[in-house]
Amino acid sequence: MNAFADSVPVSVLAPTGRVRLADVRRRALLTAQLRVLVIGLIFFALTVAALFRIAWLGLVEPPPQARSMADALLPPRGEITDRNGVPLARAFPAYALWFNPEAMDDGGTPLVRPAEEVAAELNAIFPDLDKAWLTRRLTSGKSGYLRRRVLPEEANRVYAIGELALELPSETDRQYPQGAMAAHVLGYVDENGKGQVGMESALNDRLIDPARRGDPVALSVDARVQGALEDELRRGMLSVDAVGAAGIVLDVDTGEVLALASLPGFDPNKIDAQGQSNMFNRVTNQVYELGSTFKPLTVAAAIDAGTITDLSRRYLALPFPIGGFTIKDSHPLGSSLNTPEMLIHSSNVVTARIVDDLSAARLKKTMADLGMNERPYIELPARGFPIWASGDWPRLRAMTVGYGHGIAVTPLHLASAYAAMVNGGIWRPATLMKVEPGQANRGRRVFKTSTSARMNQLLRMIVVYGTGRKAEAPGFRIGGKTGSAEKPGAGGYKRTSLVSTFAAAFPMDRPRYVVIAMLDEPKGTAASSYQRTAAWNAAPIVGRLVPRIGPLLGVFPDEGRDIDLTDLKPLVGDTGGSGE
Amino acid sequence: MTPQSRIRRIGWIAALAFCAVFYLVLHIKVHAVSSDVIRAERQIVSLERQKLLLETEFETRANQLQLAAWNNVEFGYTAPTAGQFLQNERRLADFGAPPLPGAPEPIRVAGATGDAPEYPRMVSPLTGKPIEEALLEPEHVDDRPLSGGLGAVRVPLRAVIASAAQ
Repeated sequence: MNAFADSVPVSVLAPTGRVRLADVRRRALLTAQLRVLVIGLIFFALTVAALFRIAWLGLVEPPPQARSMADALLPPRGEITDRNGVPLARAFPAYALWFNPEAMDDGGTPLVRPAEEVAAELNAIFPDLDKAWLTRRLTSGKSGYLRRRVLPEEANRVYAIGELALELPSETDRQYPQGAMAAHVLGYVDENGKGQVGMESALNDRLIDPARRGDPVALSVDARVQGALEDELRRGMLSVDAVGAAGIVLDVDTGEVLALASLPGFDPNKIDAQGQSNMFNRVTNQVYELGSTFKPLTVAAAIDAGTITDLSRRYLALPFPIGGFTIKDSHPLGSSLNTPEMLIHSSNVVTARIVDDLSAARLKKTMADLGMNERPYIELPARGFPIWASGDWPRLRAMTVGYGHGIAVTPLHLASAYAAMVNGGIWRPATLMKVEPGQANRGRRVFKTSTSARMNQLLRMIVVYGTGRKAEAPGFRIGGKTGSAEKPGAGGYKRTSLVSTFAAAFPMDRPRYVVIAMLDEPKGTAASSYQRTAAWNAAPIVGRLVPRIGPLLGVFPDEGRDIDLTDLKPLVGDTGGSGE
Repeated sequence: MTPQSRIRRIGWIAALAFCAVFYLVLHIKVHAVSSDVIRAERQIVSLERQKLLLETEFETRANQLQLAAWNNVEFGYTAPTAGQFLQNERRLADFGAPPLPGAPEPIRVAGATGDAPEYPRMVSPLTGKPIEEALLEPEHVDDRPLSGGLGAVRVPLRAVIASAAQ
């Protein structure tokens, strides 16, 4: 007991091996548990982190920008082509030349070498940049574009100059390979990437839609026909010193516009102040009194209504007063004329008498059916509203409308109306989008087929025997009507400024295309034998244009073929006439 | 641990290591191929862009205005006239003229196209029946008797004349 009693304090003071062992074991256990806890915590933290990352990836982070090849090749703005796939407007990656004075970032001068030297080197690459201007820009210390368009080969040469301050940011560029051609049809893209004026504006949403911009948009325009139309119009306009010209080629069966030109034009590749002033579209936006070109429409309305049944019937052709106004012709045409003679000599008096028989209401209805009372149907944003008298037309108004005065429409209105008159009587809206075969608009019937056939003969007669003889092109069977209207000005019509128009169709034995050529304020020059009327300036344009575009459009000249005029020939003498 | 289980363990480890290495190699290979594809795609994109640029440049240099300007200065081509078109074969024939007296006869050339009808079989002038091919062979002709054969008999003309002379 004693020994036991003695042993207790001993054991307290100095633990025996067994007790020490238990202590070590407990401590080791504690350490192990602690380690397990730490490892468990690490694993838990990792799991939480992983789960959090998964959740973050799934819920918060935007998906990675997958740049596939298709995306890289998708143009930033869709391509516009003509009906045969010739590109008219396309976007392609290009460079700009930007001056960044902070590029060196060392507090010194922006350029390594003197500004004059760099300017001289840039001038060697871009001869159109002025050396003095470049030097001023490079020493000004202000950042900005030195040039908006740089080709890749030029970009390489700019890099070779070795100036960090000359930066070449890549930009998408809208390029119009045909330059100023068809500018009014295409329009342009402004600095904000928004289409303006033409189809760039009309098709803006379609052209930037990522789902559809990969496919080019085919217009109804044929680049070759457009080029020929602009070429001939420009030549005609310059030769008679006109202030402007307009022209259109329209497919009579589908309403497709194959060419549409308004001169002077602009270059969509380079929009400047002068270009801005020429953006006005004379074909779809400007309304004109188109004068005698309305006479065939009046005659067609009268034949259709049955008030002209006998083309040999003679009307009095002497001037007559009505409502304080005298209806007269530009020069006396004899005492009486029949309908074919009226068209050949272009008599206002006889047209007025035909309108009198027809009645104002029926003429107005025909004109409305031909779309003359509303804006023209075309995709372009610029469409002019006609000057159209509402309400019942008085007798005088109807008579003047009969020969194209007192009503002002766009040349496109006239083209659509002529298409309806020659194609068998169906009026269709004009379109600038390519129409697949069989997909043409059904249109509405305005004239009977028989009326249309008769009008084709009469239009051909005007070119064979009448005022349109300068439009004759052998073998192309052109038919058409001249119109020279005085422009209205302050205090009545201005006798010296005319709008001369030639509205034509070809080939008349089976009309396929309507061609309108219009000159604004032509002067009498040597080229037009010092005449200002359409017979001398607008008709020759059509006569030169049709042989150029006919074979391209599948109309081949054939001198052994023509519309049959034998039943009408006896009604007119051999001698043609002159008139407006 | 028995030696057996140790070997098995080593086997497992080896298999695992092999798979890991194989996977690694495959993975690197796949990566290499996919980066090749990406590089090729980038090259295609850059070539397409170059093509677009060159095509646009070509179109720009050959635009209608430019062509018309060149034509005015250099070539002077004009629109074709009616006389340059032929509507049909009759118009082509119109260009021909009747031969003048004393003109040489036109040379006519005939040709067979291969679809010629079969040449008619030779028949006997006496019986009207087709002649056997064997009879046409010259060596058999002399061996045949003059007459008395059965069926179709070819009588050589020479033999007939000879017998008549006798």
